[in-house]
Amino acid sequence: MTTAFPAEQMLTLPRLLSKQAEVLGRDAVAIREKAYGVWHAYNWEDYLRYVRHAALGLASLGVRRGENVVLVVNNHPEWLFSELGAQAIGAVTINLFTSSIPEELRTSLQRTQAVLVVAQDQEQVDKLIEIRARIPQVRKVVYIDPTGMRSYREEEWLLSYADLLRAGEERDREAPDLFSREIARGNAKDIALMIQTSGTTGVSKLAMLSHRSMIAMGRQWTEAIALQPGENWLSMSPPAWIVDQMWGLGVSLYSGMTMNFPETPETVTEDFREIGPAVIITASRFWEDLASKIRVKMADAGWLKRRLFHCAEAIGAAAISARDNGREPAAATRLLRRLANVVIYRPLLDRIGCAGLRNAYTGGHPISPEVIRFFQAVGMNLKQCYGLTEAGGIFQVQPDGEVKPETVGKPLPGVQVMMNEDQEVLVKSEALFSGYYRDFQNTEKAFHDGWLKTGDAGYLDQDGHLVIIGRREDIIKNKTGQAFSPDFIETRLKFSPYIKEAVVFGEARPYITAMVNIDMENVGNWAEERLIPFTTYLDLSQQPAVEELVQREIAVINGQLPEMMKIRKFLLLYKLLDADDEELTRTGKVRRRFIYGVYLPLIEAMYRDVEQVETRGKVRYRDGRIGEITTNVRILTTSG
Amino acid sequence: MKAYRGQPAIFAARTEEERRAHLEIRNVCLNFGGIKALNNIDLQVANGELFAVIGPNGAGKTSLMNCITGFYRAASGQILFNGRDITHLRAHELVRVGIGRTFQNIELFPGMTVLANMLLARHLYCNYSFPGAALYLPSVRREEVRHRKLIEELIDFLEMQSIRQKTVASLPYGLMKRVELGRALALEPRLLVLDEPFAGMTLEEKEDMVRFITEINSAWGQTIILVEHDMAIVMSVSHRIAVLNFGEKIAEGTAEEVRQHPEVIRAYLG
Repeated sequence: MTTAFPAEQMLTLPRLLSKQAEVLGRDAVAIREKAYGVWHAYNWEDYLRYVRHAALGLASLGVRRGENVVLVVNNHPEWLFSELGAQAIGAVTINLFTSSIPEELRTSLQRTQAVLVVAQDQEQVDKLIEIRARIPQVRKVVYIDPTGMRSYREEEWLLSYADLLRAGEERDREAPDLFSREIARGNAKDIALMIQTSGTTGVSKLAMLSHRSMIAMGRQWTEAIALQPGENWLSMSPPAWIVDQMWGLGVSLYSGMTMNFPETPETVTEDFREIGPAVIITASRFWEDLASKIRVKMADAGWLKRRLFHCAEAIGAAAISARDNGREPAAATRLLRRLANVVIYRPLLDRIGCAGLRNAYTGGHPISPEVIRFFQAVGMNLKQCYGLTEAGGIFQVQPDGEVKPETVGKPLPGVQVMMNEDQEVLVKSEALFSGYYRDFQNTEKAFHDGWLKTGDAGYLDQDGHLVIIGRREDIIKNKTGQAFSPDFIETRLKFSPYIKEAVVFGEARPYITAMVNIDMENVGNWAEERLIPFTTYLDLSQQPAVEELVQREIAVINGQLPEMMKIRKFLLLYKLLDADDEELTRTGKVRRRFIYGVYLPLIEAMYRDVEQVETRGKVRYRDGRIGEITTNVRILTTSG
Repeated sequence: MKAYRGQPAIFAARTEEERRAHLEIRNVCLNFGGIKALNNIDLQVANGELFAVIGPNGAGKTSLMNCITGFYRAASGQILFNGRDITHLRAHELVRVGIGRTFQNIELFPGMTVLANMLLARHLYCNYSFPGAALYLPSVRREEVRHRKLIEELIDFLEMQSIRQKTVASLPYGLMKRVELGRALALEPRLLVLDEPFAGMTLEEKEDMVRFITEINSAWGQTIILVEHDMAIVMSVSHRIAVLNFGEKIAEGTAEEVRQHPEVIRAYLG
């Protein structure tokens, strides 16, 4: 049963909660938290009661409508109680990362002029005390976890969460209709919360989201994947991020899903397994780690298990590739797959807590197709998605059975997406943000005719799936003015196990070329298996067999790229790009301009009609000496 | 809810009287063959104090702790605990009197889980009979739940949630030390004896341990004797310090007094 709520003008998040408390009441679990080794459940009435007491407690501390309340908390029920409590009395909430340093907290607190801070524990309180003199507008700090706080008892600036709730309870006795009066004053268009966006230029912005946006997001998701009350979500991304905000406040309140809170960040894996969530949205990194963990465990498993696993994986892969090619898998494959499901897939997914997953999403950085295929093969419904804070969260997902490695799928119901003349992705929906906090200029720039400019460039493929090329500022144009993103192509090149690093060129050039570093370990193993002798990196990268190997890899990748982004020529560089040579940043990012300057003769050669170019390069040895080598670099052409 | 935590019943439910600890060591001597391990040691540890014993290697620190906790028998002299002569009590009797300890070289059951190791300490407080336990009577069940709850609160306090089901053998050294502290606290001791709780720890592990020790001492009034090598920690946390050298007490006092004591400077720098 999905509860349908009228999209009325007055519907706010706290109101949605009190409606759910009426509808679902004591019969459904709203929140579950692991503490002292066991799961404690709160039903919807409990949930509303805590929010009510938190709200009135905040009111008794003098928090007024329109004021800002900052939360520096971890994933615990108190996060939701405080946030909805503050919103119930018309305050606006901002979550900051618990990992913030005092200086970052100070900047955000000064900027928002927050009057009250809800802090997780002693660690956060200590940071606030450090900057106290510079945040005079903060009237009170409410701390949730009292561990270690006994010596702070004299401090009047601080108040324990238990005392906040007690104060709220008392206020409730004095004025029993105050809470309902307060929430009745709320309007759907009011700002509910603000989220700090990372901002690529360094200065972060505060995106304001209204009650209407959050509820619209809740409705879109509930309808798109038919979420049911009581289905489980595990809250594991920081509350300062959009994903858990959108789910904890928008989706779970709308759908009646249960929010589950792990015991500690270190126990998430265990708690994940115990809960077996129905939906998960997380970064590609999570899935890549999980896949490699499974592979490592399987490699250590007994002979029988290993064989069964490989068989089952092959069956899954066959079924997936049949489907990818638009065919129905053969009857035998389907039968085997059903068998494998019982014997291998289910037990495996159960082991990692994924047996209950109806929908799993990966967002952020593009995920390796290998990983997505691996999970699809073992029967997990892993799909890609896309969104941004300013759009109220994630609005673009791959529908079931339409998983393609390069796309981020189709818009949720009620969301429209289009490209403007610059290939920038524009989005329109009820969930869009209301603007940046006290930043009219950037707010103006973010919208065009009611459409939100995402700042990402993309295009729609033949099936109507959105493909994100990259941030607009990273986009480069070729000779004929067509836009492409080097990062987009490089990321895909690096999905190949044999390619360690790649730099793509083509600005104001007729076609795209690439400079490739092979992966010494994987290519080395590949060569050993084929009895190809080699000595150094230089030697290995110049083996004709290796050149052909990379040529084949690039041909496959070219197959997935649109015509103008295909790599026409490439070369294998005689040395690894290195941060010591200033070719990479210390965090491992390619310094494109620098590399362009250093290797210009080689790059030029890829745009001339030559097959080989003699080059003299500098190499830095381990002991710091700089040597010079002369070598011939072959220019290779590719197909596909 | 986190908001209602931070009050482990194992500390919070005890009255002042149930916590009271006063240790007096009078003229204690201990010999190993011809070697005088301890020579006429006199010490007093007052209720609620965090008392440190320091000294170079082989000074007799651990020997003294072993005398207090009943692992060694003093050759002469007297040890009084809350006015009672405990010089000749055995280790298991001393636990009942209210003296709990951790060991320099961890003494846990490596094949058992963290939880099992800690629950074992509650054996002291289990009142049910063997047949009752075998039948798992409701009363036994209730008691087990009570003990488990106390242990879980300690696990929460010591931030060991993620390792509760792991076997001790699989843990890094620093965490084993934390488990030992947890087990000692599960005994509800009046006097807690910590024998080099910081040895072999990383800086971060030391910081955590300092946090736990100062918290149980200052917030919950736990009386503690601490044997330690790390001077920086000892100087910063202890109320009073005694310095041993070659089995003799050469100085006693606050951190500042001890630091300036000529004998101490000679023993450490000479």
